[in-house]
Parts: sequence; structure tokens; C-alpha cells
Amino acid sequence: MRKNKYFSVHPQWASEKGPGYPVILASRARLARNIEGIPFPPAADEEDLERVRGMVLESVARRVVDDEEWDIKFAEELSREHLSLLAEQHVISRSFVEKTRGRAIAARWVSGRGVMVNSHNHVKIFAIIAGAQLMKAWELADKIDSSIERDVVYSFDQRLGYLTSSPVDVGTGLRVSTMLHLPALVITGEIGKTVLALGQSEIVVRGMHGRGTGVSGNLFVMSNKRTLGLSEKDIITHVESISRKVAENERTARKILIQESKLAISDRVFRALGVLERARKLEFLEAVELLSLVKLGVDMEILPVADFSIVDAVMRVGNSHLKALKGLELEEEELDRERAIHVRRILDL
Amino acid sequence: MSIFCDECGKNIATVFLVKLAGSEISRLQLCEECSKKMEEATEAASLIALVPQIISGMQSAVDGNLQEEVFSGEPRVCEECGTSLNDFKKLGYLGCSSCYKAFGDALENSILEFHGSNKHTGKTPTKLSREARLRLKIAELERNLRKRIAEEEYEAAAAVRDEIRQIESILNSEGSESEKE
Ligand SMILES: [Zn+2]
Ligand SMILES: [Zn+2]
Repeated sequence: MRKNKYFSVHPQWASEKGPGYPVILASRARLARNIEGIPFPPAADEEDLERVRGMVLESVARRVVDDEEWDIKFAEELSREHLSLLAEQHVISRSFVEKTRGRAIAARWVSGRGVMVNSHNHVKIFAIIAGAQLMKAWELADKIDSSIERDVVYSFDQRLGYLTSSPVDVGTGLRVSTMLHLPALVITGEIGKTVLALGQSEIVVRGMHGRGTGVSGNLFVMSNKRTLGLSEKDIITHVESISRKVAENERTARKILIQESKLAISDRVFRALGVLERARKLEFLEAVELLSLVKLGVDMEILPVADFSIVDAVMRVGNSHLKALKGLELEEEELDRERAIHVRRILDL
Repeated sequence: MSIFCDECGKNIATVFLVKLAGSEISRLQLCEECSKKMEEATEAASLIALVPQIISGMQSAVDGNLQEEVFSGEPRVCEECGTSLNDFKKLGYLGCSSCYKAFGDALENSILEFHGSNKHTGKTPTKLSREARLRLKIAELERNLRKRIAEEEYEAAAAVRDEIRQIESILNSEGSESEKE
């Protein structure tokens, strides 16, 4: 069994209880930047990519890295398993796993902060923290941004702001998101209205797992649509206030479930617990759905199970995490078996 | 009302339709995939898009599906990086910062439509340090150097290379001082 830094580091944000718990789980800020005079990564050749990588990593090493917890790696050095694991931790996108050439990641994994080099933009700065704290997440990312800016010249236009490879990010280059657990809104069917209303408020909603728009475990991510014409603070305030409203709706929906259909909801969460307790193999999506229901039962004080973090639990039962823990060669059925065992361990059953 | 597709029950519904069957009117919510299948199987006239919105508009724009009708389709190419407006339509990515100027109105309109604005009001980079300016100059020269070599203009290339070395030596001597700050 191979063990190393990546496999043992679990981000703090996933297990901490921040403001908005247990509905708002985490806040993330991401800044997209490019270096002037060099083509954006989708059009850059290898030499360009390597030059960017050198410039950015040098700056990060000199001005951003403040302790030994920082880890700087060329993406080519990382195995597919490492990269998949990072994708499961919501740090990198799936597309980063597919193509590694000329890319790099510098990060302080425990604290959920870092810089990705040459994904869709030359520089992508990220910060993830627990709870509804978008302003703080942005401040962390902004600090890194200002440090790197002392060494490189960003593509910047007086009128359009920071220039990005996709015009959907142009301007501030800032995308902030909150992660939310909304089981009661989904069960009561209110989520449909919520999603429509969010679209009108220029908030982009998607599921936390899987590609595209699939949602599993009632876990949602809400982000700003616009990056141009608003200040960073406007963007943050908007997403955070809407997220809080949605969280309030979730709390109301939970109250309604208790008042109006206590037997039905109790039955549902107890059944979920029953399956997790007895199942000898669990597929990932199945585990996620059931964990979500059990978490709802715990939050609503229906189930006699100790509180746990849903986002951490989901992370820990992901394929890459199980492989890291149990060995890299596990077949699908063995993974499902390990997942069932691991779920019981997480819930202390 | 559920969030999921009426047809497959698995994906989030992103297409909202009104279905007319005789005098019966029913509402449908479908995922992209199922909506396509449904459109093929049903007479187009009997399906009316109620809220044809794509929930994850951002995601799909990033995936390269930026609304095509926004563009007029003139064959424009960015001289700096060689990316054409068509490449951009297909891939959803611009090639370099000059593309923003090269694609002019076509791009400007889609930016305005997407963001509801075309004026940045956020953070502005601080004034460039002398070091940053020198680094920018090197980057520019290095591109120039590669172009010269590709075009087999070796004498010009050598001159560019000397210029790069000169700036690098300035950077190196200043760099060792700034380490101490
Ligand atoms: Zn469907
Ligand atoms: Zn260009």
C-alpha cells in the first residue's frame, strides 16, 4: 500500500462547522488571471506553458508560501489517482485530471488555499473555507493574487478588466460559490421554484458531483453568473445573501416536514439508515443519497446517530479516497464492499 | 414539483415545456438529453418552450456552447495568436488578450448580453514594478525570438537573444538585492 502526503491530507473546511451549518457547508472563491503577452492556455504551445509555469511558481514560492504545509508540484509528477483524489476534494476540475502537460498546482491542502497554473487560464487562485464566509474566502484569494501581481504583468484592460480565456469570466475574474445541503427543499419539491428564482437572480446552480447538471446527495453549488460590471464586494454580497435566503427556505421546509409529515419523513430517514447499516456493498451515488437522508435525520433529531459532516463523509467514500486507503488496484465490486464498510465506520454503526 | 427530469428522473430538468395534446395542456420539465429525444419523437408544434432556460448557463458557456446566434459569422482571425472567431464559437475559448480587440462587436455584444455590462468596476492592478516591466519585456522578446528562428532570420534572432540576455543580467543583479527585503 502506497501512502503519501496527498492521500493523508483531508481539508479542514470539509469537517469544520462554519456559520450557516448544517445547511451552508462551505464558501469558495476563485480568481482567474492571465499573463500579458502570452497566449491563453487553450491556445498556448508547450514552451509558452512552461514559461508561464516557471514565472508563476517562482513568484508563489517567493511571496506566497509561508510555511512547510505548502506543496508545489508539476501536474505531470502527479499520478492519475492523486489528481482524481484532488478532484473528489473539489480542488481541481475533472478536465485537469485528463490533461496535465505544462500544468502545476501549488497548494496548502489543509487550509484549502492554492494556485493552479495553466488550466483554462494561466493562473487560477482558489480558497475554500467552511460555512457561509465568502468575504473571508475572497480575502484569502485576493491576498495571493496581490502577491503574484508584484512579479508578473496580468492581462488587464482599462474597460473590460482582467482578460480571461473565456469571456464569461472577464472583468473581476472572480467566481464565488457556496455549497449547500438542501434535502428538505428537494423532498418537498420546493427546489424547483428555488432554482427558477435563482436563475432570475443571476445565480448559477449545479450539483456538487458528477459532470454537468446532475445532482446527488441533495448537495448544491451556487455561484455568481456575472463577473463584469460589479465590484468584488457586490458579487460576494449578492451570492451570500441569496445563499442565506435559500438556507432559510431549507430550514422552513424542514420545520414543515416535522409538523406536517413527521411519520413519512421519519420512515424515510430510518429506512436510509437501515440500508446503510445492513448493506454489504454500496455504489457511490447510492451511498451519497442515503448519507444525505441520514444527515437530514440527524439534523432533525430523528435519528439516534452522532452528528457528522456530509461533505466530508461523501469525500471519504469516493472511489479515489477508498483506493488511497485500501490499495490502488481495487475492482468495482471490491470498492462497493469497502464503501459499505467505510460508511458504517463514519456513522459509527 | 421536483427538480428532476420528468422522463428519466435522474438529471436536473433544464428545459421547461408546455405540451399540447388535443385540448390537453400539460407542463413538462426535462433534462437536455431527454428534451432532445422528446423533440425528435413529438411533433415540434405541440411542444412550446415555456422557460427555455439552461440552469447552468455558465457551465455550458465554458463548455463551449456560447450562443451561436450572437455572432454574425464573418471569418475574423486574431493576428496575434491565429484564433478565429469560428474557433472561439466552437471551443468557447479565446486565444489571447488581443482576441478581445480582434473580435470587436461580435464579442462585445455577447459580453454585454451575458454580463449586462461592459465596464469593469472591480480591482485594478497596482502600478507595475520595474522588475515586472522587465519580465514583460523578456516575454515579448522571447516570442519574437521564436518567430525569427521559425522564419530562419538568424541574424535578427541573435540580436533579440542578446537583448534578452542583457535584460536578464539586469534582473539578476537587482533580484539578488530584492531577495533581502
Ligand atoms: Zn432526462
Ligand atoms: Zn488572439
